[in-house]
Amino acid sequence: MKTLFLGLALVFAAACGDDGNAASIDAPPGNPDAGTDGASGPDASCFENPTTHTEIINACTDAQKIYATRPAPPLTLPDGGLPALPPP
Amino acid sequence: MTRLRLLLLAGGASLLAPQVAAAAPCNFTDPMVVAQVGDTQNNLMKRLGRALRDNDAKPLVLVWRTSGSCTNINQIYQQTPIAAATVMSYVPSVAEDAGWTPSSPVLTCELPAAKVPDISNSALFNSACPGGDAPPANVRLAQGPVQAYVLAVPEASPETYITYEEAYFVFGFGAAGMIMPWIDEAQVFIRTITKSTQLAWAANISVPASQWRGVPNEGSPMVVSALKTTPTPAKAIGILGAEVYDAERASLNILAFRALGQYAAYYPDSTSTATDKQNVRDGHYTVWSPTVWMETVTGTTPLSPDARYVIDLITNKSVTPRQDFDVEQIIAAVGLIPDCAMTVTRSFEGGLLSPYAAAESCVCHYESLVSDEDSTCQTCTDTCASGVCRNGFCEVQ
Repeated sequence: MKTLFLGLALVFAAACGDDGNAASIDAPPGNPDAGTDGASGPDASCFENPTTHTEIINACTDAQKIYATRPAPPLTLPDGGLPALPPP
Repeated sequence: MTRLRLLLLAGGASLLAPQVAAAAPCNFTDPMVVAQVGDTQNNLMKRLGRALRDNDAKPLVLVWRTSGSCTNINQIYQQTPIAAATVMSYVPSVAEDAGWTPSSPVLTCELPAAKVPDISNSALFNSACPGGDAPPANVRLAQGPVQAYVLAVPEASPETYITYEEAYFVFGFGAAGMIMPWIDEAQVFIRTITKSTQLAWAANISVPASQWRGVPNEGSPMVVSALKTTPTPAKAIGILGAEVYDAERASLNILAFRALGQYAAYYPDSTSTATDKQNVRDGHYTVWSPTVWMETVTGTTPLSPDARYVIDLITNKSVTPRQDFDVEQIIAAVGLIPDCAMTVTRSFEGGLLSPYAAAESCVCHYESLVSDEDSTCQTCTDTCASGVCRNGFCEVQ
């Protein structure tokens, strides 16, 4: 189970290259989301008719959004991934 | 619905056993259904218990106690009885308190004999618990309303969001994760490893429940109390069921959560003040689990038809005789989401989301219960230009 959790984390993190700052997220092309709440950070692209997980969580919505403003976690790996958990 | 209370302390018994608990044995004229549920389901038990008490078509007495989801799964899988004299909760009978409301205290009684719970509940996919993946042939599982989980902070905290990556470090590394302001592990209020709240979050932030850093708490009320009384509110954070947070909105704040690969953080509801669970229902808020309701069966026959009646109600199935209350209203009132109101689904704890449409949608009815916003749903009395007329609304199917 530990391996699975870690594996999923690393695979996803590496795939996304997310550094914790929305400004650097590589958003796919889509329609501008008219429902942004004016919170700090850039407007993100969104998906009109989502079918996959990534499209669903980034689907267009009128819901309140909050864009990340804090810097990336200090322990983030150079490739944007997450380090393994320390032993319990 | 008169309850026959047997007073343990009557007569000389009190002299012989002055330390015996004051609760009387659970002994009722109406049929009793014994349930063991997660503490996130306590409010559901109260409201449903009241409705079942007053359900003229089939009055039942719901008697319950709370325990961790993994414990509950193991208990019914192994057919382990709840011990005799265990103190259980129940809604007062009409004779005891006709005007009882869910904000009033429940009464307690003692199980007169050891008993395997008629209903056992977990508030997450059973497969997330050790040994939960394969139920024995004599245990039936039914998937019920969806339960969301949240990260909460004291009202004095200025924080409004947390990302997947930050949560990974806060709960997986503790102070060493260096995520400001959550660097004091004594101010990170978590649960124990059998609790759905921790297991659900564990699956969503890729930190196994056994590896969490922070202060473990046995129950949600302890987490709430810790967050409300901390001397350093700016550093405090805790995990809760959404319905627990909903009852504490005046004194706690919720953090929006940005899942892995998501562009923005979202609350379970469409805004921080709404109660519509829109983002859970459409997949923008990812930290949720189905509730699972378990009963003992022989083949396909329930050991307790009354337990099946209750489970069918909770899981939105038609029952005979038909109940005289709106079960979706009860589910919505306790912060749960009927499966029929969901537009996304997943197949394991923290799993990827995919589009979903219930065979008999209740999206419009649910939204009428939880939102004051003008709905795009059409009302109806019999037929609809498109869709199906159900509960006064034109549902999509």
